[in-house]
Amino acid sequence: MVLYMIKFPNINIGRILILVTVLTWLGLLFVDLLRLFGTVNRMNLGIAHEITWTLEIIFFVLVYLFYSRSIERSEQNNFIQLIWRAASTGLIVIGVAFLIRVFYILLDDTRLSTDPLLGNFFYHVNFGLTTLFLISCSLLWKKLILYQKNKNTVQQWQIYEVMLLVSMFYVYFNQNTFDFTFLFGLVFLLIFGVIISVNLKWIPYLTFKDKWKSILFFVIILITTSFLFMQSLSHQSHHAEINLMDNLFLMGLFGFVFVYSLFSFLVTLFNLPTSSVFEQKLTEAINFQKLSQSIQPGQSETQVLDILVDSCMSAAYADAAWLEIVDEENQLQILHQRFVTNMDRKEIKALMDKNKVFSSFLSLRKPSATDHVNSGVEHDLYKSALVVPIWVNKSLLGYLFLLKEVKNGFNKEMLNIVTTFVGQASISVENHRLLNEAIKNERYKEELKIAQRVQRSLLPSALHHNSHFDIFGFSEAADEVGGDYYETYQFDENRFALIIGDVSGKGLSAAFNMSQMKGVFHSLVQLDLSPKEFLSKANNALSSCLAKNLFITTTYYLIDTAKATITFCRAGHCPTLYYDSKAGEAGYITLEGMGLGILRSDKYPEYLHEKTIHYQPGDILVMYTDGIIESKDQNGEEFGYERLKEVLNTYKDQSPEKIKNHLIQAVYEFVGEAALPDDDYSLMVLKFLEQH
Amino acid sequence: MLTISKKQEDNHMLLLLDGQVDASNSVELDEAIHEVVGQGHKKILVDGSELAYISSAGLGVFMSYLEEFEEQGIHFLIYGLSEKVANVFHILGLDQLITIKSSKEEALETIHEA
Repeated sequence: MVLYMIKFPNINIGRILILVTVLTWLGLLFVDLLRLFGTVNRMNLGIAHEITWTLEIIFFVLVYLFYSRSIERSEQNNFIQLIWRAASTGLIVIGVAFLIRVFYILLDDTRLSTDPLLGNFFYHVNFGLTTLFLISCSLLWKKLILYQKNKNTVQQWQIYEVMLLVSMFYVYFNQNTFDFTFLFGLVFLLIFGVIISVNLKWIPYLTFKDKWKSILFFVIILITTSFLFMQSLSHQSHHAEINLMDNLFLMGLFGFVFVYSLFSFLVTLFNLPTSSVFEQKLTEAINFQKLSQSIQPGQSETQVLDILVDSCMSAAYADAAWLEIVDEENQLQILHQRFVTNMDRKEIKALMDKNKVFSSFLSLRKPSATDHVNSGVEHDLYKSALVVPIWVNKSLLGYLFLLKEVKNGFNKEMLNIVTTFVGQASISVENHRLLNEAIKNERYKEELKIAQRVQRSLLPSALHHNSHFDIFGFSEAADEVGGDYYETYQFDENRFALIIGDVSGKGLSAAFNMSQMKGVFHSLVQLDLSPKEFLSKANNALSSCLAKNLFITTTYYLIDTAKATITFCRAGHCPTLYYDSKAGEAGYITLEGMGLGILRSDKYPEYLHEKTIHYQPGDILVMYTDGIIESKDQNGEEFGYERLKEVLNTYKDQSPEKIKNHLIQAVYEFVGEAALPDDDYSLMVLKFLEQH
Repeated sequence: MLTISKKQEDNHMLLLLDGQVDASNSVELDEAIHEVVGQGHKKILVDGSELAYISSAGLGVFMSYLEEFEEQGIHFLIYGLSEKVANVFHILGLDQLITIKSSKEEALETIHEA
């Protein structure tokens, strides 16, 4: 409900204003008609002048509010439209005045033509229109003056408005007489009007065409103002008591409107020759912004280079241009060409090759101190040439060639702008390339994450065992993915297979090979082979899978808890660490055996040796990869076999899980907090349990 | 960091390895051996006394030439390895395929006998 009510007055304020303004004007007219009637008929009606003056002031204020509102709400905000509005108002006012003249000429010597009441009516019409014209112009000038607002300008205008307001009321003081104080007030107003009229900062922003238009409009306004002023003066002599025009306010406005129009006219006129420079600068700035806008990943670099050629051509007023880029074979290819025939271009290139200045510059393949070459060419058509190389990230992208038909056609300004544009274009191209790189890297990182997930799923989540032993494992890769592998398999309630392996290298390729090893294990383990047979066949399988210089180290164990035996075969892997509870000591089991993939022939099994040991409850089997042994501390010393053995000796009585934790702990403490793992760590701890 | 120097001596080619061989520079070792083999040398000695460390990438390089050595009848020996590095070759079983001697004299003796 409230919103509705607030909206209501808005629409009608305009209409109310117009209504009240017209009423006020009619009031003025009526009062003056009455007065005149009294004078003509020699009656003293005793109408006070104060009534007229009050009505006049109200009229001024209303017109001011009306135009203030109208201009504020108008959509037309560009300069030429504002000036046209002033000019068109002027044309209307002059038109009406002209029509009145014509009317009187038509009336000629009739009685109507000398009727004072009619004359007074037309006087009021002219008064009203003059006021409308002057106030609307002033408010339009206000918009132009306050275009580039700063505190000073705003203050100046506010003071001026106050002064104008005061001048309206001045008529109460001087009783409409032209005395010394009036003159003083007028001069004061005029001087301040001149001071404020210096704010012409909107003029350079007009285009060349608009400047001509505005010159025309200002001429119209000047003529209108002068005419209306002359008209107001001529009325003085006729009817002394009817005097609305001698108001200080109106006089001040006459001066202001005229002075501002005159200044604008002159400044616009004198700005015509240089307006092209300003427009040029504007275009350069826009082109610069176009160049610096980052190229979308889908777009190509050639679009930026296209804009570059156009911008440089227009900035340097070049007659022709072309752009060459260096391709994969280090040859120059023409990318863009403007206003030059192929023949001319080739001729000029030939001339440049012969010219030392050009040829030595064009043979540079590294950025140097000179970023351009500007010299004359002896061609029939083109007399001067500018060559600018485009460097992207210290490598040559290509050359920009600009030609002019006059000698020494490129001045310092042009060189500056062109080299700036080229610099900006190369930044844009570099950014575009970096962005593409970053996107590629993101894709690579995503793929790596997928490989990581796959690889983690390849390591076992649970290790097979029965009541005779317990087993725990640990694995951590150096990169996101690693090349270590371990697994268990259960044949029946007493027999198990264990395997630990290490693929050479680390990272993505090692992970791939690791998954191949897993495949080989799962296929061959089903055949229930002896360790030596298993590894022989594994070697055959992997010989076709692995790259020429890759190998896999592994140890394969068969555990029989019914017979209490471990049968195993070592293929190049780190020696098994075994704690013998009877001996009360841990030690490394020596067993010859060559790694998988080193000898890819049927001679390989000769290098494999199998061993069987009987275990006791309390014995511990520690299987690990060389990452643990070779991990270095801050001084570069390796963790080594001895330390691993010592830790096992220390915690031999604990559960395999705890032993595993102690071992890992020992390695991490040795390496230190800050160090990043250099290789993959993997560990399996198996402890044979007491049987009851 | 790895420095490889080549020296032609009497009847054999000598390769001196100084530093560490890992994944980042194993290709240099590969190129060096490739060059020497390409020049047609049938007796190649490697002085490993200044070799501090060799990774699986480096071992892979030696491994990849074994077939070629056999086919072309090239005698390839490594000598002077530190105990640690020699152990690496031994654990892998590579010492069964590449002759490893402790000193230069022993290595030269082996070549003469061949």
